[in-house]
Amino acid sequence: MQQQPILVLFLALAGAATIVFIYVFVSSKKAAQTDQGMSNPLKKRFWFLLILFVILGIFTSVTIPKSPYYLFAGETPTKVVHVSARQFAFILSEKAIDPKNPSGENIELPANELVEFRVTSLDVNHGFAIYDDSNRLITQVQAMPGYVNRLQYKFKKPGKYDILCLEYCGMAHQVMKSTFIVK
Amino acid sequence: MESIKIKKITSVWIITVLLLFVASIVLGILMRLNQGEVISQSPITFYSNMTTHGLTMIGIWFVAGMAAVNYLMQRYVKTSYTANVFALVLTVVGVVLFWASTFVGKFHAAWTFLYPLPFKDMGSETWATILFLISLTVFGIGWLIWSVSLMAQILKKYSISQSFAWQHLTKNPTVETPPFILITMVTLVGVIACLITAVVLLVLFYAEYFSGGSFVNDALLMKNLTYFFGHTIANEMLYLGLAVIYELFAEVSGRPKWKTTWYVALAWNLSLVFILTAFFHHLYMDFVQPEGLQIVGQLASYLASLPAAGVTVFSIFIAVYRTKIKWSLTNLLFFMGIAGWVIGGLGAVIDSTISNNIVLHNTLWVPAHFHTYNAMGNVLFSLGFFYWFSTQFTAYFHNKKFTNSILALLLIGGTGFLLAFYVGGAESIPRRYSTYPAELSVGVNLATIGAVFATIYLIAILMFFFNITKRCLKILSSTS
Repeated sequence: MQQQPILVLFLALAGAATIVFIYVFVSSKKAAQTDQGMSNPLKKRFWFLLILFVILGIFTSVTIPKSPYYLFAGETPTKVVHVSARQFAFILSEKAIDPKNPSGENIELPANELVEFRVTSLDVNHGFAIYDDSNRLITQVQAMPGYVNRLQYKFKKPGKYDILCLEYCGMAHQVMKSTFIVK
Repeated sequence: MESIKIKKITSVWIITVLLLFVASIVLGILMRLNQGEVISQSPITFYSNMTTHGLTMIGIWFVAGMAAVNYLMQRYVKTSYTANVFALVLTVVGVVLFWASTFVGKFHAAWTFLYPLPFKDMGSETWATILFLISLTVFGIGWLIWSVSLMAQILKKYSISQSFAWQHLTKNPTVETPPFILITMVTLVGVIACLITAVVLLVLFYAEYFSGGSFVNDALLMKNLTYFFGHTIANEMLYLGLAVIYELFAEVSGRPKWKTTWYVALAWNLSLVFILTAFFHHLYMDFVQPEGLQIVGQLASYLASLPAAGVTVFSIFIAVYRTKIKWSLTNLLFFMGIAGWVIGGLGAVIDSTISNNIVLHNTLWVPAHFHTYNAMGNVLFSLGFFYWFSTQFTAYFHNKKFTNSILALLLIGGTGFLLAFYVGGAESIPRRYSTYPAELSVGVNLATIGAVFATIYLIAILMFFFNITKRCLKILSSTS
């Protein structure tokens, strides 16, 4: 569950920014005609920028290695699932899907093993988003016509997982859904 | 005579923008009410309203920024009145064609019209797609000519290096480039680049449409073009607003005018590079995109915040901190808008982190952050300009009650409406869903809450609309 810490971080940062803006505004309201404003603004600006730069540098070096492209580098998936999205359904199969005669089957996947979804689309752009049984988005990739995106994931918990479309694809976008089981 | 003409056309721009703004907010509220299951629209109506809402909003706040910049530009260089009128006429014609394609033709491929969605038969009229593409072409021609004309006028007075303030990077520059000229120039380069990209995109759409299936586009290339255009124009309109703030904030506050320094020049030149490369963050979830571009997307998105925070935001702090200034609705809107821009920027930087994007992409987190820096940022920059402009030529007295009510309603309405989006994003609620499946029912309640607060925001905008429109109509009917 990655989203709650993200929301907390955002609210904390937004709250801090709000306090700074209010503080600066109040200082102006209270200022006397003789007040000279900020002392040494150039020096303060330099330090502010440097601190921001260092924080962003730390964030970059911590987060980039966690990007989905590098998460399972060097590991070989034990299971491959082919996915063809089309308006307004997902076709899943353990065999390659013939785009002229697409057909799929119910999918069961092993827990704690690396699974690779090879995701494409037969018509427009779609999203292939996996939700766990508490309805939380855990990973996603785009389904694009003419391309195959490889999404790798290790499911930790057995159970039912939903697939929702997260790229607007037309008037039944909101009901485009499929499921699979992890055992 | 010239000054009367520019005053009048700026008034027409303001009335047009505010009218379309009110209509688009109403569409937005209807969307949230439908998601909240308070009203029931058919999916095709919902999605065509969504398409209208998105493109109208992008369009009006872009032209609002352009009209403001065009008006203030008169202080430095003579601008083309013809190009201004031409852009106005084409914008109005474009809106009529675009609204016909969505309201009548039921075109509903969203304002991003991601290839090949507009070509799929989706229950809309057969002519709706081509009419939509024509309306975009009309906007593109009008806006491109306007932008090129403004840039040409700047370059008549300033050399290329002066317009980018490069001489400020050396010791003891002899010529000063006003910050307004620098920011406008940097912004116009971005605007022209993204409008030319839009032309290429449209040509590729037309080529496939008229080839009868013999020419087929590449979906990944089209997506890159779409987001280069869409991301850049949505960002550049914000920078037009910032140009106005650099020009007016000190002036309306009764403080000395801001000057270009070496770090202001450097920051804005760097901004241009980051703005033009940050769009890659829209394609993080397309794993076939070269990895190097994905990393460029995150780095550019992060780095874009440095000149923005370190120069623009910090300059506002320096201007205000412990300094007695004359507060009015104009600079209060500017100040509040900068705060909204910063907070929206924080949400954006979080989302531009690839490892976060995998659980935030295309959830309500996306409309959350862009509505923050638009509805509570860029819109306030333009409203500040509208108010300042309209009070220059009509009787003005500082109405504290009016100012406080507008600001309070904007703040309460905006905060509640945006929080419903952020919480929705953290709850994994998808964006662009006409209704939510039963298992995501938390999205239904959040949508209703969002609609209520958006209505409070709308009340503030209506108060503003009546006040400003009355003043602008007076300017239009006056002869001096």
